[in-house]
Amino acid sequence: MANVIGKSIVIDGEISGDEDLVVQGTVKGKIMLKESLLVESSGTVEADIQTQNVEISGAVTGDIQAFSKVEIKSDGRVVGNIKAPRILIADGAKFKGNVDMDR
Amino acid sequence: MANEPPGVIGKGIAIRGNLSGEGDLIIEGTVEGEISLKNHLTIEETGVVRADIKSERLTIRGEMSGNIEASDRVAIQANARVTSDIKAPVVVIEDGARFKGKVDMDVELPDGIL
Repeated sequence: MANVIGKSIVIDGEISGDEDLVVQGTVKGKIMLKESLLVESSGTVEADIQTQNVEISGAVTGDIQAFSKVEIKSDGRVVGNIKAPRILIADGAKFKGNVDMDR
Repeated sequence: MANEPPGVIGKGIAIRGNLSGEGDLIIEGTVEGEISLKNHLTIEETGVVRADIKSERLTIRGEMSGNIEASDRVAIQANARVTSDIKAPVVVIEDGARFKGKVDMDVELPDGIL
């Protein structure tokens, strides 16, 4: 049972929780999850993100901190700073910001 | 030019200073200073480069620190250890690579965001 913020949904505020979250719509504010965040290609996130894992195919602006892994897929566009032990940027992805992989 | 075999700086070679030129180049040794290459530069697993690099394409499998400006693409592969600020249209970081620094690609965001 995945949590899905659908295409036509706009959230302005803070999201926190301990389950996986899929964003197909728009989130502005802050996202704090104990599990994984998936921003799909239709998703737009303008928020600071703190999660276990993040996978981005949509657009994200904000600082990202992940305790395991950040993955920017080939469709993903990210502007912000990333801090995580594992960071992957796929061919075709667009990214601007700082990367910190210190463990 | 593209058909010429790539130049190689082997394991036993250490260079300190400026390196510039055309054609593809593979570094298996050590280079400190500045590198300006028209074509494709590859830093192999044994390679250690402490230099600012300007090239068209850059592939890193070894150790590198310094600033990078590439007109085409930069690929940081699985065993690479890189500390750098990178400016390039395409930057790829593979799983297992160690990277610290800044990445600057031109990012087009959808309307209404930032």
